[in-house]
Amino acid sequence: MPTASLVCEGFRGQAATTAAGLGLPGLPTALVPGHVDVQSAEELRCNVTTVTVDAVIRNLTEAPPRAGAAVVEPAPGDIVFEGDLDEVNRFFYENDWSDGLPIVPPTPDRVREFLRFADRPAETELGVLLPDKRRATVWNVAVNGVLAGCRPEYMPILVALVEAMADPRYGVEHSGNTPGAETLIILNGPIIKELAFNYEQGALRDGIQANTTIGRFWRLYLRNVAGFLHHRTDKGTFGNTWRVVLAENEDALRRIGWTTIAEDEGVTGGSAVTISRYTGGGVIASVFGNAPDRMLSYLADAIVGKVGWELLFTVGMGAGSQRPLLILSPILAETLARGGLDKPALKRRLFELARVPAEKLERYIGEWTNLVPGQPTLHSLVKADQIPAVFAESEDPKRLVPIVCRPEDLMVAVSGDPLRTNAYAFAHNGILGYPTTKAIRLPAGWARLLREARAR
Amino acid sequence: MLLPAGQRASGEWIDDILRARAEEKGLLARTPLAGEFPRQRVELVRGADPTAEVNRLYRYRGWTDGLPIVPPTLGRVEETLAQSPLERHVSLGEMEPLGGVATVEKVAANAVMAGCRPEYFPVVLAAVQAILDPAFNLRGVQTTDENVAPLLIVNGPAARRLDINAGWGALGPGWPANAAIGRAVRLVMTNLGGGWPGAVSFAGLGQPARYGLCLAEREDTPWPALHVELGYRPEQSTVTVLRAETVINVTGGLGELASVIGSAASLFGILHSGKAAVILSPFTARRLAGEGRTRADVRRELYTRGRLPAEVWRGSWIRAAVRATDWPEWATAAAETGSIPAVREPDDLTLIVAGADLPIPQHVYCPSWGYPPCRVTREIAAPPAGG
Repeated sequence: MPTASLVCEGFRGQAATTAAGLGLPGLPTALVPGHVDVQSAEELRCNVTTVTVDAVIRNLTEAPPRAGAAVVEPAPGDIVFEGDLDEVNRFFYENDWSDGLPIVPPTPDRVREFLRFADRPAETELGVLLPDKRRATVWNVAVNGVLAGCRPEYMPILVALVEAMADPRYGVEHSGNTPGAETLIILNGPIIKELAFNYEQGALRDGIQANTTIGRFWRLYLRNVAGFLHHRTDKGTFGNTWRVVLAENEDALRRIGWTTIAEDEGVTGGSAVTISRYTGGGVIASVFGNAPDRMLSYLADAIVGKVGWELLFTVGMGAGSQRPLLILSPILAETLARGGLDKPALKRRLFELARVPAEKLERYIGEWTNLVPGQPTLHSLVKADQIPAVFAESEDPKRLVPIVCRPEDLMVAVSGDPLRTNAYAFAHNGILGYPTTKAIRLPAGWARLLREARAR
Repeated sequence: MLLPAGQRASGEWIDDILRARAEEKGLLARTPLAGEFPRQRVELVRGADPTAEVNRLYRYRGWTDGLPIVPPTLGRVEETLAQSPLERHVSLGEMEPLGGVATVEKVAANAVMAGCRPEYFPVVLAAVQAILDPAFNLRGVQTTDENVAPLLIVNGPAARRLDINAGWGALGPGWPANAAIGRAVRLVMTNLGGGWPGAVSFAGLGQPARYGLCLAEREDTPWPALHVELGYRPEQSTVTVLRAETVINVTGGLGELASVIGSAASLFGILHSGKAAVILSPFTARRLAGEGRTRADVRRELYTRGRLPAEVWRGSWIRAAVRATDWPEWATAAAETGSIPAVREPDDLTLIVAGADLPIPQHVYCPSWGYPPCRVTREIAAPPAGG
């Protein structure tokens, strides 16, 4: 059937590659010059009538170009290069297979060693990843793990991460979207200590092999298997360096009887990864006070401060999909717990306190953006049953309304320097991908394999 | 080595299509390794004589014009890219007919192969931008059974700076810039557009100009330079691209030139109201200017005197092959008067001054091919500061 897809000028390359990834190579597109967001109605009308309409007519009346043959890529076991370390690095970098930092050459021996730590055969398919529609396999997980500088025993985590990446809930195809959000991996379970992850001072800083290299693996896998590349499939306006893995301080959590992030997301027992996409975040420094009442207003205010346009995901686009993350240092969590709060109670208090004037929220979904059609009011959205009644409790435009739909939409983790009263808040990139948790499956003989690995 | 081959925006390599076409046409003997290369940005070639090996591989993969190429090493391509203000990933457009994306980097790789010195690169980029203009009809040029080739005319300071020859033997051989820039455009057409002879390009005979056809206009022309006439400032540099059906030498005066323009007028040019090119000898130009005649006067005289007898047109095979109503009104009206001018109006003759300053003057006439009427000019970007 003849079709025409309208594409803004800056997105033509993404349209072509993404269409091919979706199985529609050569999909006819019609150019809209510039970007519609910064054009007056008159400019837009002129652009559409002088350029776009012609293209639409051509799209609908001409035969689309015949698709070429599928791109043939090296088979899993192929040796793609032989050379010394410098040559391998140059070769991988120049072919877009590396992020610019030195890689560890993925030799057959190294890959085999990683595969010993997998609970499934190398050829097992973990999913098919857009935009390149490449198969994610245990084999290519191992190859990218080697590249990233991971140790073989990280393999069970890498496999779980790719299962999460391939989960439709996460929406890996949105990883190149223009706000350029970056994934944060949160790790839970005994594997934190087994593999020597850092979950104390400097928890979000590079420098610890497990936290650092697994974060790098994530980005390399997005590059090499999903296929996100600068200037092509990636459209992140600024982007962000990949984030190191955040491991929770489960000793602290157990002491105060709080659940872990994985448990909050419904995965109990064993170890698990949770992935979520954040546009940004920042420190909440020097939280002061010896009781919840003294601390919570400051924390709530900081969470509100980190969330701006992402409020669209609370009441506009994908209503209710906004999931901000608050990371508390252990001493803060312990003080709050001592004040009688368990995690659900803490979330309820933050839900009450982290609020914005209704008129401001309405500007986010109306005056300031074109992402929400129809310029709805909070009252109209409540009436349409798209958001909870709490957003329309009065007609006062200055009334305070929450930044998430339900208390449990707030996520709370515990990590970082145990004895410093700082926290961290992340703004979530809402509807593009939901927090996704996967249990980590260990290979048979894990304890023995781990002993061997440590002895190396 | 950078791979100079065309990749579509959707990621497919045009070589897969080319291999299939070459196979169908029984042309694989020329390119036995068509489509056989790693699908990567770069490839490492080792061995006792890597240059020879690159030449062997690239020739058999169909990436050359038959002559040896300069291996497009990363270093050479980097040096070339440094001469352009454009980032390497920028796309100049998709090359017809097979749609390889002409990224700045891919064009640079082909320019290196053609033997371009890095400083020629801005000219190559401007020329590639010109042939990507829809008015150039690259699809037609690449696929027609006629032998049309791009004619590149360089004006402005870049011509002097790069020693693009406008004098003795300007159409070759002997001057690296003319040879390499013209050749780079051909390699870009071959490798990014897929204009493989016999497989995609059906030019019956081809012509030497298909290796490259590039010259500069003489600086000492008695008239304002072509680019100034086209509205550019003298200190700007430009490349002007036309579709040349062939290159015809004429020795003699304006009379002989007009006679050849008339008798060699392209019927395709008339059918499509094409724009032809005339390269006038400096000797003749000076003499005419001395008589007070402007470039426009000369064009008008050539237009007036260079006529095809109407009976030749009426008796031609193409007159019979094309519906009477498809001929432009200006041509059929002129036929009623007994002869048809070679072009619709005097301005459709692009007239430049080049060649040696010989008292037995030599000129060139390049009739046009195809549609739409085409004379595309692009400014050549200034070299980078300190470059």
